[in-house]
Amino acid sequence: MDIFDLKREEFIKWINDENRRKGISRAVSSYVSAKEYVLSKMPELEKIRKEVRKIKEKSIDNIFELLKIAMENIEESHGNAYFAKNSIEARKIILDIIGENKLIVKSKSLTSEEIELNEFLEEHGNKVIETDLGEFIIQLRKEKPTHIINPSVHVPREEVAKTFSKLIGREVKPEIKELVKIAREYLRDKFFKADVGITGANVIAANTGTLFIIENEGNARFVSNAPPIHICIVGIEKIVPTLEDAFKIVQILPPYATGIPMSAYVSMITSPSRTADIEKTLVYGVHGPKELHVVFLDNGRSEVIKDPILKEALYCIKCGGCMYECPVYRVVGGSFGYNYFGGIGIIWSAFTSGMEKIAATIDVCTKCGRCKELCPLEIDVPKMIEYLKAKLVEKGYISKRHKEIRDNIINKNNPFGE
Amino acid sequence: MLLYWKGCMSRYRTKSIVKSVEKILSYLNINYITLEDEGCCGSILYRTGQIKDAIKITEKNIEKLKSLRIKEIITSCPGCFRTMLKDYSNYYNIPFQVYHFSQFLLKFKEKLKLKELNATVTYHDPCHLGRHMGVYEEPREIIKLVPKLKFIEMKYNRNKALCCGYGGGVRSVYPEVAIEVSKNIVNEIDNNIDFIITSCPFCKYSLSSNRVNVLDISELIAMVLE
Ligand code: SF4
Repeated sequence: MDIFDLKREEFIKWINDENRRKGISRAVSSYVSAKEYVLSKMPELEKIRKEVRKIKEKSIDNIFELLKIAMENIEESHGNAYFAKNSIEARKIILDIIGENKLIVKSKSLTSEEIELNEFLEEHGNKVIETDLGEFIIQLRKEKPTHIINPSVHVPREEVAKTFSKLIGREVKPEIKELVKIAREYLRDKFFKADVGITGANVIAANTGTLFIIENEGNARFVSNAPPIHICIVGIEKIVPTLEDAFKIVQILPPYATGIPMSAYVSMITSPSRTADIEKTLVYGVHGPKELHVVFLDNGRSEVIKDPILKEALYCIKCGGCMYECPVYRVVGGSFGYNYFGGIGIIWSAFTSGMEKIAATIDVCTKCGRCKELCPLEIDVPKMIEYLKAKLVEKGYISKRHKEIRDNIINKNNPFGE
Repeated sequence: MLLYWKGCMSRYRTKSIVKSVEKILSYLNINYITLEDEGCCGSILYRTGQIKDAIKITEKNIEKLKSLRIKEIITSCPGCFRTMLKDYSNYYNIPFQVYHFSQFLLKFKEKLKLKELNATVTYHDPCHLGRHMGVYEEPREIIKLVPKLKFIEMKYNRNKALCCGYGGGVRSVYPEVAIEVSKNIVNEIDNNIDFIITSCPFCKYSLSSNRVNVLDISELIAMVLE
């Protein structure tokens, strides 16, 4: 069996897994109708998304300049800014801040998945609790996320009920409201007991060093506010020049990510919590964290910027819309990807984890181009997929079938060899 | 000289598309040729990253077509259409015009005398024809030429059409996925639909695997020619 045979088996398993398929198809249909509604209600988004494309183009072209400005401004506001070349460096920086045997609460961060942070911190005796409901569910189930916005998209309510029953030691009904209540009760005191909170960020404004964290559940507010230390891990591509630019991204993310006009919460964080109310003496750590650490991750991004075709992948604002809209993702879900999912996820996985990781998966993309049409930034995913595929073929990653087809074309003048 | 480029899929699998196109062309008294040694356009090689081989095929085809003084090509396969028009011209100046059959046929709509057809149809936009090449309206206009035919749009149409799953080399490596993806489309269609019309041999092939009646646009028109 080669990698393509193995991948084929994995796909078949997904296709035949009724539970996972049910979860995905429910999520797809509610996403699609919600998004259609919100886009029709907010025609102004059409203009904003085009501006965002321009902002991203400009930002990626000046990324190192912006990184420098952002880091300086974070330091100036009494935060600590770090640059990590790769995941090993990033994990080390974070471990040095945290130390061992600590309780850590986390809100959802793809970048932390990218560097496999949880596994690493737990190896060092720390306990990490995911607090985003979807992440919490799959953490309990010891599974990997399968969607960037909705990581437990493949787990239907019946399965969640089973998982929660085990967690609290009593029978739980598969009623969504009840399930949410259990998560709330279970996690509530964890936020306050935790030594450290780890978040990602959706956007960073370089001119003030402000982190934007967009969420609906309110868990990221707790994570970034209740523990004495807040660590934010973020890819360098998230930086834009100004607060004004950042607000544009904030406006389009919720509609495209979850089909809502605006998310319940947008947290803007510029420094550790502070006061000068007593004798104008500045003290850090009032009700919020005493320390703010922002770790900027490169991990392949600065290499991709040099590639004129793949550079476009860095414009992605990770709304996840293209995954719901992808005809193939609907069928094979989280097996269409590695640590990122769908067509754009193939590109991201390739440069953050190595292209051999997606060498077989890439062939499941039909290059139909639906993602490009529905992406708020019109990112040309099929073009990048074809380009990356050609690179893989050069390195010898080609399936037996595609080779056979090639031989048939060369020798018999048609792909069937007839 | 006008060439009808049949495409591998229709030469070997969906042969009735070739028959239908030729029937229509002769009905319209159009002078055209076909090639005995047609060969492959290279689409699948481009789509599966085998670029060096794809370019070789491209060179060979352009040389051949040049020597035959071909000025216009019609293809019934959107894959060939996209490849010859878009991919070839990424590397070479192509000395001919390429049309998809639906575009070509529409120019002759006045000459088409069509019988009534009492049926309800919908149209599936092939990715290579629609999203990749922007040809959305021509096939619809042709369908609407058929008297008495009732036309209903699919929920996801034009640039939002779902993919049939067979493109890009997926069918050959991951056939189970391809078939499952084609069901996305069939599951969405209205119960009253008698035929799904499409304009691509791959889409026809894939959708037909789901026990629905699928006709290529050429087959529809050939069926109702007076
Ligand atoms: S590629 Fe576009 S649609 Fe997909 S996640 Fe990125 S921004 Fe969203």
